[in-house]
Amino acid sequence: MDPLLFIAIFSAKFLKIVIKLSKRGGGTAAPGLLALKIYPRLIENLSLKLEDGSVVISGTNGKTTTSRIISSILNEAKIAVIHNRSGSNLERGIASTLIDHTGLTGKIKSKIGLFEVDEAVLPSAIAKIKPKIVILTNLFRDQLDRYGEVDKTRRLWKEALEKLPPTTTVILNTDDPGIAHLGHYLKTKVVYFGIEDETFGQKELFRSADTKYCATCSTPLTYELVFASHLGKYTCKTCQSERPKPQVWAAKIKLLGIEKSEVIVRAQKERFNLNFSAGGLYNIYNILAAVAAAKALEIDKRVITGGVEKFKTVFGRIEKFQIQGRKILMFLVKNPTGFNEVIRTIFETTDKKNVLISINDLLADGRDVSWLWDVDFEKLDGKVKNMVTCGIRAKDMSLRLKYAEIDGVTVTEKIKEAIEKIFDQTKKAEEIYFLPTYTAMLETRKILTKMSNAKRFWED
Amino acid sequence: MKLNICHLYGDRMSIYGDDGNITTLIKRCQWRGIETKVSLVSVGERIDPKKFDFYFFGGGQDQQQVTVSNDLKNQNSKLLAAAVENGAVILAICGGYQLIGHYYLSQESKKLQGAGILNVHTVASKKRMIGNILLQINKQLVISCHQSAKLVGFENHSGQTFLGSGVQPLGKVEVGFGNNGEDKTEGAWQNNVFGCYLHGPVLPKNPHFADFLIRKSLEKNYGKVELKPLDDQIEWAAHFSSLSRARQTK
Repeated sequence: MDPLLFIAIFSAKFLKIVIKLSKRGGGTAAPGLLALKIYPRLIENLSLKLEDGSVVISGTNGKTTTSRIISSILNEAKIAVIHNRSGSNLERGIASTLIDHTGLTGKIKSKIGLFEVDEAVLPSAIAKIKPKIVILTNLFRDQLDRYGEVDKTRRLWKEALEKLPPTTTVILNTDDPGIAHLGHYLKTKVVYFGIEDETFGQKELFRSADTKYCATCSTPLTYELVFASHLGKYTCKTCQSERPKPQVWAAKIKLLGIEKSEVIVRAQKERFNLNFSAGGLYNIYNILAAVAAAKALEIDKRVITGGVEKFKTVFGRIEKFQIQGRKILMFLVKNPTGFNEVIRTIFETTDKKNVLISINDLLADGRDVSWLWDVDFEKLDGKVKNMVTCGIRAKDMSLRLKYAEIDGVTVTEKIKEAIEKIFDQTKKAEEIYFLPTYTAMLETRKILTKMSNAKRFWED
Repeated sequence: MKLNICHLYGDRMSIYGDDGNITTLIKRCQWRGIETKVSLVSVGERIDPKKFDFYFFGGGQDQQQVTVSNDLKNQNSKLLAAAVENGAVILAICGGYQLIGHYYLSQESKKLQGAGILNVHTVASKKRMIGNILLQINKQLVISCHQSAKLVGFENHSGQTFLGSGVQPLGKVEVGFGNNGEDKTEGAWQNNVFGCYLHGPVLPKNPHFADFLIRKSLEKNYGKVELKPLDDQIEWAAHFSSLSRARQTK
């Protein structure tokens, strides 16, 4: 082995031990960063050693859940997988994950790599990892202050995907017109997935819709049905371009509350009856993407079904706590589309809810909080029992709620105080919904963990 | 009283929560018993310069800006100028701001024609000007009130806008980049036309600016207008917390 590579791996492993001993976190990023400084071609070099190649997943929403469903399927298939599990999806996180599974002799025990990759990192990740499968879930406005604009991200993706060889499989969400049209330019195999069950479609676009124009002729698309944001069944009346027909699709969907759904997935002639341990229409897309990937990896139908069923909810996406007799359900909110979907999932039933929203504006949350105005808070009208806003941008949040005509909102910047307030406003056995942005979630989790002794996320 | 609002190219030019500006105008009128009507005028449609008192023109992505620029050339630039002549008020943000100027010069030296109703022009740069922005409002404008003489928001642009003669900046930059990151100016106004780079969106947490625009737009038809004061505690709380956040993240 290249002595410099050995030094890089050794130093990273040593740093990780130091971080863990000092209890300063899980060491999911810093060791990789150090190793990349010492040996810049570390990702290329180590990912090459994975016998069955790699699966790379990107998109605004659903990366983590999709990759975890795939991971669950691979476990069921008894295929050893390495996966950047803690949502550490920049190059340093990928490098850390590779190093964790590499011995000091440079050998990797696992057969396949599963990498969820930040939207901005996707082009360089593809170039370095040379994946066997690429999955693109969707593209919404997210932390635009970091990525520039959605169109620009899509252009960079297209350039990166065009370089992939015909042996690669690219799996695309056909309901997202901005993602689906990428398929026209590729030399690779292309698999589309989408929803065919029309029960959950609505007629109008959501406030957060970005890609409502035809990618070919840039006139507004005509939507027959909208499932979320700009995802749906669309055609372009001007240039006649259409939504590609999916090869993997949801034929029948049953959403059974927050913690359960059932879906019949069809992949050509095959039919999968899947039970899933989370609700929300957005999770149907995650299941479809995972099934499409598992099919591309030629995994057996029974194994796929078992893997999907054994999936456990992802850190932060929905977490449950039982504290002082109250049932807390925590959902991560990070962009308008995600927030809209969380609203739809929570407020499905008619009873009034207790809600705590915490909005931070640190780098990992996105510095710009303008996106709160792209969320349809108007839909909460008449459905709120108690509402507290907190976090660095608590006041921006309460202002947004005022203009959505939601009254009686308590505002306090400190998250700890906010939790105490909502506890005061609620009684035992009541449910409280916590909706934090990323760093607010980390802080909330710390507080709740102290109160209830839950596991730390990097141990899962 | 009634306020007729035109959301200019609203289906194509709307990012970073810009629609919140329209929501703010509607609510602040509604809370005072002023009727509002919002109409979308988009690509392929002609502006009726007599119909509207206020025009909102938001930001958009590159491809849409090209389409809108082409559409403006097709009469709407002239019709917009006629509307201004009639006393209508215009607020344009970010991409919209660039498109009411004379032109936008891209990095490949391609000229994107604007409406030319504000004597400014924009040149693409390699630097992205992103972050919280805070400005001291130009004293010649009667926007400031006893609560605040500042405007606060979030900017995100790579175009550098330069002001020509007869145009005044909206304010002086205290935190952030502003028009071009060089001359400490931000935004521009000329008669009833206002442009700036402030997202946030700008109007909800700058209620003095929102009311200034409402008043000015109503005065087109109703002579001197006094707006009924509103309970703006929540607005000012957001204004001042954003203001201190801007200073912290400087």
